[in-house]
Amino acid sequence: MGVASLASTTSDLEPSVFGRWLLLLCLTLLGAGCGSKQVIVEGNFPSPLLDPLPLTLGVIYPSAFAEHEFFDEAKGRAESDWLVKTGAAQVQFWDTLFDGMFASVVHIRDWETVERHRADIDGVLIPAIGELQYTVPTHTNVKIYEIWMRYEFRLVDISAIHQQEDGALTFNPDERLAVWPITAYGKTPTAFLQTDEEAVNLAAVVALRDAGAHFVTTFGATPDIALWLNTIATREQPAGTSSSMPETDSAPPTDTPVAVESAADITTTSLDEREPDERQPANASSANPAPSGETS
Amino acid sequence: MKRLRIADLASRSAGLLVIALLLGGCVNATVDEMTYNEPVAGIGESSVVILGRRHAPDYDTEFDFIECIGDHIHRGDPSIEVINEIAFINQFYPWFEPRTAPMQPQTIDRLLQLPPVADRFAEMKLEYMIWIDGNTVDTESTGSMSCGIGPGVAGCFGFGTWGTESEYEATIWDFTDKVEVGRVSAVASGQSYMPAVVVPIPIIAPVQGTACDSLGDQLLEYLSAHH
Repeated sequence: MGVASLASTTSDLEPSVFGRWLLLLCLTLLGAGCGSKQVIVEGNFPSPLLDPLPLTLGVIYPSAFAEHEFFDEAKGRAESDWLVKTGAAQVQFWDTLFDGMFASVVHIRDWETVERHRADIDGVLIPAIGELQYTVPTHTNVKIYEIWMRYEFRLVDISAIHQQEDGALTFNPDERLAVWPITAYGKTPTAFLQTDEEAVNLAAVVALRDAGAHFVTTFGATPDIALWLNTIATREQPAGTSSSMPETDSAPPTDTPVAVESAADITTTSLDEREPDERQPANASSANPAPSGETS
Repeated sequence: MKRLRIADLASRSAGLLVIALLLGGCVNATVDEMTYNEPVAGIGESSVVILGRRHAPDYDTEFDFIECIGDHIHRGDPSIEVINEIAFINQFYPWFEPRTAPMQPQTIDRLLQLPPVADRFAEMKLEYMIWIDGNTVDTESTGSMSCGIGPGVAGCFGFGTWGTESEYEATIWDFTDKVEVGRVSAVASGQSYMPAVVVPIPIIAPVQGTACDSLGDQLLEYLSAHH
């Protein structure tokens, strides 16, 4: 009787268990398009093959740059929320590039560093991400994942860096030596057995590499930079500078003109303290400025 | 009555499967070649690099296709050293990125003005740089297939077919003289089928593989003294 009862129970349970699994499968399939996707961009970045410029460069990565991420909310059931964190990869990539491009690089994180290296540093570079856009095949019906970024690089003299009362570093935008935009583009086709996250990561890595290539090939050709390099060269003869950057014959993508003149945020505000709109939505219009910060 | 219908459906599907098997996997390939200054004695201890073009807005030459060509050449003549594409691009970063890659052989001279670049090329003993431009795409697809799942049973019924086209062009640069010494192109197309009688059976036409073999054979013939 007990056996029969058990068999009966088992028999009753089987369709129920199967039904639950089927329900779970259906729910998974229904919810597949409306989940949340997160990518922390990772990659291995090569050192540039260059003779380093004989300069000591100070570098400040503003918190909005070093912790950069963008968030795009799904606009329909077929789409997913996207959170792409590029900050760590940005710092890793630009560190590698600057270390290979300049004879000496000083990371400026506090006022002590400014004071200690004031006499050595030829200029301080402050990168910022002005805009970032991405597309995935669900947006465009084209089987390509793309990321486009516009950076704003600022070069200031070490004397333009000041300390605020709270210890944060800031600079006077009027004292800049140069400000110039760098655009970068990365794409990757959809590939078999490649997830959306892997494809977006790869597109971001390609975009970072492209940003580096653009930076290296235009650095010496930017008028204000050329002027700055000439000033240093005349001050410290002999100096080989921009001659190590040959022009290339491939037409670079058209750059978007930049009209943004806001000061870069070089304070040490934490991510939590930033305004919610600093999480840039993807497909932002070109009017979106760089993450705003303090202007001294 | 129901059994008869199922038997009828199964026989029709089996017929489609036989037709698909007879037709499936067929690939047509056309190769054009125009080369000069063939190294009749081979390339000796020099090396070759094969690179994909990736500057077009709507496609990238696939990394695995470049690897396939390199493997094909090295398999055909193990004495030919083919440098891995990704390793090469990383070693010469940022001079072979889509934005900066030379489009004409003459512009390599500009790159060689950079002492570290010139030194690395000298280390590699690079004799030929081969650029591959093209891609493989799926074209029109027709047919329909429906799949169902029920308690204790699941399956698909139907038939689907789609075309695939590969079009690639290899441009050979003589690295010593900085001139273009040949172009080889391969165009391949084929039709793939997917009949489904309970279980879908993909019959894939190896279009990209055929293009790789065709292009690889021609490049091997050019580079090797033994072919």
